[in-house]
Formats: sequence, C-alpha cells, structure tokens
Amino acid sequence: MFRAEPLVKIRLHMLASEAADAALELARFGIYSPAQHQPQILHENPALAYREAWLEAEARTVKLAERCGSLTDPSIPEGAEAPTLLDLEELNSWLKEVWVTCLAAYEGEARIAEEIRHLDALQETLGKLEHLNVDLAHLLRPEGLLAVNIGSLPATSAKRVGEALSMTGYIISNFDTVADQIYAVIAGPRERHDEVRGVLSQAGWRELPVPEELRTHPRTARAWLIGERKRVEQLNLAECAALETLRGKYRSGLEEARLRVELGRPLAEAAVSGVRGQGALASLSGWVPRRRAGELKEKLEERFHGHYWLNIEEAGKQEAPTIPSLVHYPAWLTPFVPLVKSYGIPRYGEFDPTLPFALTYLLLFGAMFGDVGHGAVLVLFSILLYRRLGKTTWIGIAAGVVSMLFGVLYGSVFGFEDMIGPVWISPLHDPIQVLSIAVAFGVGFIIFTLLVNTFNRLVAGDTAEALFDSGGIAGLLFYLGATGGIASLAGASAIAIPFWLMALAGIAIVAIYKWLETDASFGERLLVTSIETLETGINLFANTLSFMRVGAFSLNHVALALAVFTLASGLGSAGHWFTIILGNIVIIVLEGGIVAIQALRLMYFEGFSRFFSGDGNEFVPLKLMGIK
Amino acid sequence: MSSYLNTRVSLFSNRLWQDEDFRTLIESEHSELASVLAERGLPQLAAGFDTLDNRSLEQRIIAQLLEDTTIMIRPLTGKERDFLLYWTQHFEIGNLKTLLRGKMSGERPALLLSRLTPMGSFGHLDIQELAHTEDVSELLRRLESSHYADIVRPARRAFEESHDPFILDAALDRAYFEGLEHRARPLEGGGGKALRQLMGALIDRLNLVWLLRYRFNYNLPPAQVYFLLVASHYSLPPSLLRKLATLGSRVDVLAALPESLRKLLAGTNDIPEVFRRMERSGAELASKTLHSGAPSIARAFAYLNLRERDLRSVRAVLRGRLLGLPVADIRLAMLHACEGNA
Repeated sequence: MFRAEPLVKIRLHMLASEAADAALELARFGIYSPAQHQPQILHENPALAYREAWLEAEARTVKLAERCGSLTDPSIPEGAEAPTLLDLEELNSWLKEVWVTCLAAYEGEARIAEEIRHLDALQETLGKLEHLNVDLAHLLRPEGLLAVNIGSLPATSAKRVGEALSMTGYIISNFDTVADQIYAVIAGPRERHDEVRGVLSQAGWRELPVPEELRTHPRTARAWLIGERKRVEQLNLAECAALETLRGKYRSGLEEARLRVELGRPLAEAAVSGVRGQGALASLSGWVPRRRAGELKEKLEERFHGHYWLNIEEAGKQEAPTIPSLVHYPAWLTPFVPLVKSYGIPRYGEFDPTLPFALTYLLLFGAMFGDVGHGAVLVLFSILLYRRLGKTTWIGIAAGVVSMLFGVLYGSVFGFEDMIGPVWISPLHDPIQVLSIAVAFGVGFIIFTLLVNTFNRLVAGDTAEALFDSGGIAGLLFYLGATGGIASLAGASAIAIPFWLMALAGIAIVAIYKWLETDASFGERLLVTSIETLETGINLFANTLSFMRVGAFSLNHVALALAVFTLASGLGSAGHWFTIILGNIVIIVLEGGIVAIQALRLMYFEGFSRFFSGDGNEFVPLKLMGIK
Repeated sequence: MSSYLNTRVSLFSNRLWQDEDFRTLIESEHSELASVLAERGLPQLAAGFDTLDNRSLEQRIIAQLLEDTTIMIRPLTGKERDFLLYWTQHFEIGNLKTLLRGKMSGERPALLLSRLTPMGSFGHLDIQELAHTEDVSELLRRLESSHYADIVRPARRAFEESHDPFILDAALDRAYFEGLEHRARPLEGGGGKALRQLMGALIDRLNLVWLLRYRFNYNLPPAQVYFLLVASHYSLPPSLLRKLATLGSRVDVLAALPESLRKLLAGTNDIPEVFRRMERSGAELASKTLHSGAPSIARAFAYLNLRERDLRSVRAVLRGRLLGLPVADIRLAMLHACEGNA
C-alpha cells in the first residue's frame, strides 16, 4: 500500500504466427504490462500490420454497434483463440460490406428525413409565396429572359452572395429564414446564368425545386402537399422495416465480429510498445509482479507446451525510471487514488502517498468545516447521490463524518454554538490557539514530507541529495533548528542556542551542496547558491504558515454562521428561519466547495511538491473487455 | 501581463535568423549542418535531419512554432489569447485538408495518420476517429460536429453540390482567414494600429494573389472570384475587390490598386513575383513591428510570422542540401518557401 509491488521484466519469444495467442494468454493472465526492452537485434515490429488491421476492424465494429443499438457485450469463451492477421483482414472486408449496406439504408432514412424537412419547407414556402401573391408558373417560366432560382443558403453567406451576384446583374431577395438557412429568390439575365452558377455552388446554395404541382392554384398545391406527405410517411415505414431486417440479419455476425475484435485487442495494444521480432520470430516484452512470475510460466506451459522461450529478469538500476508502478489499495482507499493521480504517478520504488493523503485530506477538511449539521448534510447528500457520484460517494461520506466529529469537538450544529458544548475547543472563543495548532500541524506535516523525500531520494540512489539538499536531511536539520529557535522565543530561552546552531549547520550544508552541484562560472555559482539557499528557508516557512489557513477557515466557518444569524435576527419569525436555512445552504455549498479545494491545494503544493515527482509510469495491464 | 509578453517576445526575437545565418547554412559542409542548426537555436531540427522526410521536417517545424506559442500565450487572456490560439489552428486546418485529400484518394488510415501533424494540446480533432471514416462524406459529417463546424459547414455544402476538391480547399481557406480577421478586429482599435497593419499585409496579400490566380490562371468568372476572397476592411475593401475582379488582365488589376500597393508591385511580371514582393514587404513590416514599441500582441504576432518564415526557409535549404541542388537553386527555393501560406 505504501510502495509499488516488485516487478520483474519478462521476454516471451515464440513463432510470429502465435504472437496473437500469446498476447491473448498474457491478457487473460490479467497482470502483464507491455514495455519495450528487447535486444536491438530484433528490429522489426511484426504486429504493426496486425494493429493496423485491428484498428480498422475495431473502428467499424464500434460504428456498427452504435447504429445497431443493443449489441450485448461479448462473452469470451475459455479456450477461444485470437484471430490471425488473415482473419482480421477477412473480418474487415465483411465489416466494410456490412457498413456499406447499412450506410445505404441509413442514408435512405436520412434522405426521407430530409424529404420531410423539404416538404415542411415547401409548405412554408407556399405559405410565404401565397402572401406575396406571386404566380409561380409565371415566375419560373423556362423560356423567359429572366432566370429565376428559388432555394436556400447559409445565412452567413447571404450578404456576400448578394454582393457577388450584383456583379452579374442579379438580385437576391430573402423570403424566409429557417435555423441558419435563408430561403431566397435569385433573379437576373438568363445569358449570364453560367457566371452565377459558380458562386451559388461555392456558397452552398441548394435549389428548392418547385414541382409542377405547386405551380398552380394554392388550394391544389396544398392538396398535393398532403398527398406527398402521406407517400413519404409510407416510405419511411418501409425504410424502418428494412433497417430492422438488416439489424436482424447482421446482429449475430456483428456479435461474433465484436468477439473476434476483443480477442485481437491484446496483440494490437501490445504492438504499440511491447512487440518486436525478426523473420518468423516474435518477442513480447513487459512487466509482471515478481510473485506471479511462476504462475505465468505455468499458464504459458499449459497453453504452448514448450513451444516458446520465456526469459525472466530482475530490472537493472538504470531501468528504474521506466518501470511502471503497480500499487494495490484496499477498497476503501481506491476513491482517493484518482485525486493522487491527478497530480502524478509515483515512481517505481517511491513512497506512495495515497494513504497519508486520504487521512490528511479528511483531517484538514474536517478541521476547516467542523459542524455536526453540515457534516450530516454532506453524508446524506452523498448517500442520496450514490448513483451519480459512484466511488466518490465514499469520499463525501468520510468527509461528512469527519466534519461531524470536528463539529462535536468545536460544539457547532448548523452554526449554533450554544446547542452542544465544545468537547475540545471553540474556534470563536480561542482563535489564537486554533491558529497555533494549525501551524503546529503544518510543522509536523512538513517534517513528514522531508522524511519521505529523503527516503525517495535514497531509493532512487541519490544519496548526496538525500543527505545534503534542502529537501533532505540537511534541510530537515535546518527546519527543526529554526522551528525550535523560533519556538524558544516564546519563553524557553535555554534551548535557543543549540537550536539556532542546528539550523545554521543545516543551512550551511545545503549552501555547500548547492555550491558543489552548480556547474557554472564563479559569479553565477555565487548567485545560484545564495538564491537557492535563501529560497530553502523562505519556502519551508512560507509552506508552514500556509497551514494557518486551516485555523482561519475554521474561524471563517463560525464567522459566516454569525453573519447569517445577525441577518436573521433583524427579521420576523418566517424571515428568520428562511434566512437561517438559506444561509446554511450557502455555507454548505460555497464554503464546503472552497474548503474541499483548499485542503487539496495544501496537499498538492505544501505536501506532494516536496517529495513526489509524479513522473512515474502507470502499470497498465493488457486486458480483455467483457470477459466472462 | 503585457510586460511579460513583451520581454518574452524580445528574448525570442534573438532566435530569428539573419541573412548571415542562412548563408552559413547554405555554404557549410554537410557534416557541419547539424551543429549549425544546433548553434543557431534549432536543436530540434538538428537531430537526424538528414534522415527525415519532408513531412517529418514539417512536423518538427510546426512543433517548434507551437512550443513558442505555448510560452507566449501563458500570460494572455480573453480576445488576445483567442487570436493567437486561432492563429495556430492553420496547422490543424492543414491536417484537415490532409484527411480530406487522403479520403478522396482512398488512403489507408495508418498512412493517413502518419502524415498528420501532432497538435498536442492545441489539437481539436479526434484524428483517430476521423482517419477511420469510410469516405469524404462521412468525414465531413463528423467534422460538422467538431470544433471546426463553422469552417466545415459551408465547405461541405459547397462540396456536395460540386464534388470539386478545389472548391473544398478554397472554402476552408476563406473561412479560416475570415475567422482570423474577425478575431483580430477587436484588437485593432485604439492602440492596435500595428496589428491592423500586419493583418492588412497578410489579408491583402492573400486576396490579391488569390484574385490573380483564380481570375487569370483558373479563368473563374468575376463573381465567383470575388466570392472566394476574404471579406476584409484593409487596403482592399470589398468594393475595390469587386472592381478588380471584373478587370480583364493582370496588368489592369495591378494598375487599379491603391497607390502604396501599386508602387510595391510596379514591374512585376507574374503572380509568384507579386506574392514574393508582398511577402517580403510583410516580413519587413513584421520585423519593424517586432523591434518597435508596438502593443505586445502585435509584436507576438509579428514574431510568430517571422519565425514561421525562417523555419520554412531553413526547411527549404535543408531539402535543397539533401537533394544536392546548386546554391542558386537553393536560394530560389528559399524564396518560394513561404508560398505555402498563400
């Protein structure tokens, strides 16, 4: 839970023709993360063509699944084998064929929808033209000197089309707007119509064909429109039936295709980084937990009966930065993992901060938002929103419970300070002590981060940095000394000198280390050393003082409640309770949100930034989706 | 904020190449090319430049420009940030055109993907999904629900009517540059004269070169030529563009230009020459802006234009050197290097 599990690197060599099955077996194993560490001699990637074919097949199955709606997740049989490249190519051809057939059907459906929209537009057009009292038959005469077009174009192009058309003696007149399209009549000299054609095409002009039926008396035109609508609706029904038939026809085939795509996924995904080969030989490489290596060997033996060669090796020191981190967390801790990962992933071997993060985060949140009532509301809402929040519910419940605990310690219920007596301290009545406790907590937290950083540096082999740098033992020495020295100002003057001497020794070691580490001219070295040494002192104490916000927010919580009560006390009975309820809602939403962010900020910037590089690699195992 | 950007731009301006630097790159021994590039601030291009194809070199150049932009937009907010971010989108429009051309010629998705420029955090397209579309129509439909919907929508309708790739390209270019002009406009008021001049040089150049090309190389009718140009408010306003599009020859068009452009283009014999003169004049203006006390956004834009110009020239020289072209041809290629922007 505090460190990544020890991993070993494996190289599995086999015939290239069996690479897909080997990758499938590794995915079934469930805890193999592909990585590139084969010898240079294997300079081909035999799985690239496989990946390319798989990506195409996957894209098509996804698209078809979207169209077909309710395909069930593939259930992967125990002994199923992965498809070969040839299988995938055949599958691709079939999928393409299905896609083209389905697309034609969907296009048919889309055409009908467009036809319906067109009829709607026509109906509206007719309505408009009726009002204009224009004889369409006369207007659209093909033999006249005047060429007339009726159609639509994007509203954004209308002005520009008008300007361009004016260069050819044409005019444009809008008569309707539907969404971002305008409907317009364009008219001008017929002999220049060819010049206009290019502009209209470029502008996305769509001719609105006015059928013969509309070039007549409006009443007759309307009757025609009703008939046409009936015809299109019948067409639509037929098209829907055809689509259903297609779905039925291809459903089982598509489900089989999805299964094959899933079986091909392991090699296609491993191809990105963990497959190499030469001629007929393929090699898969990656990481597995040391304790499971024997089990993997047994599984491979059972599947391939000795027709493979498995090499298991311990990782070299120089490989440490590339080794992925595999950390197991208890179920209750997993909701906090994404919050840690949003900062970064611990390097292999580094201290994993998830557990201290979870505990400290909850503690800080509770201390800043301590109220029995507000905490209970958080718990209640987290439970009610369980479906929407998923795993995060647990964080909400835990934060609410801790908030309630601090509420008991502070003696606060929905901002009422006199309902229960404080078990520990009332922030409003003893603010200095609250702030002092917050700073003392900060000191403890910073010491913890310096110790963890020292550990991480030692694990990484940076012994000098662990001992002499500002984030290591020397920095800790300075911090403890200076903190003790400052504390002694409060009265214990006898211990002041040893503490200040300790601080001086610490900062002197840091300065010497910086001097030796800086590779530059004398002046630049002097500048870098002085600035970085000064920064060490400033940063450590600025970070410590940052924890005063914990006390400040607990005070702020009470102060906000006081403000609400002051407002409420000036109102009548109904207004009084309305203000108190509304005020409490504001406190929960506004302050709750701010406190959640502040606690996170303290963890990231005052905590993680001291010891957590966050540039590790995540252990991403090859997996089969929908395995049953 | 503006002092940060001003300082950044001043520091960056030292990275721009002088004629002397190009001369050294052209005349150095082949074995010294990598060190010349590294010494003159282009270590990204130096590593393995002689094994890269033209596309990979282009990708590295764009990556360098995006890196510079990332640093410059840090202190910016609001309309200034929008403007610079939108400027970077012309690289992604390039990807979009590659996708469209690839789909028209039925290219395999993997090949198509390898030809796209990685846009990093500047990218708005799901290129995996787009590369795996079956044809141009499906690609355009998907693009219509992407970040580029406003640019693609008119292009799709135009393409569906004509199925002409030229119309598609022209519609995309016009829509992109109109978007740029639209975003620059609010920054051109007040003290934004320098940005207005830079944008004017860019849009006027595009409009004039496109006008000449469409009218006299492709013989398109005047109305269509006018429609394909960017609606702008610089030296060539719509009324003048309409007039120019109706003129019968290149000479007539050049003679009808405003005084300043007429002088600049006096004696030009062909359209590439028109482009080169306007491009050089634009670069001089950008250089003057960069070394002036102009507002930081104008200086940043000037820098990015000059930097892109430099990098494309460097690419031209490297390609020329690798192909073993004579020095004179390499110099000519340098002059043509920036025509990709027209």
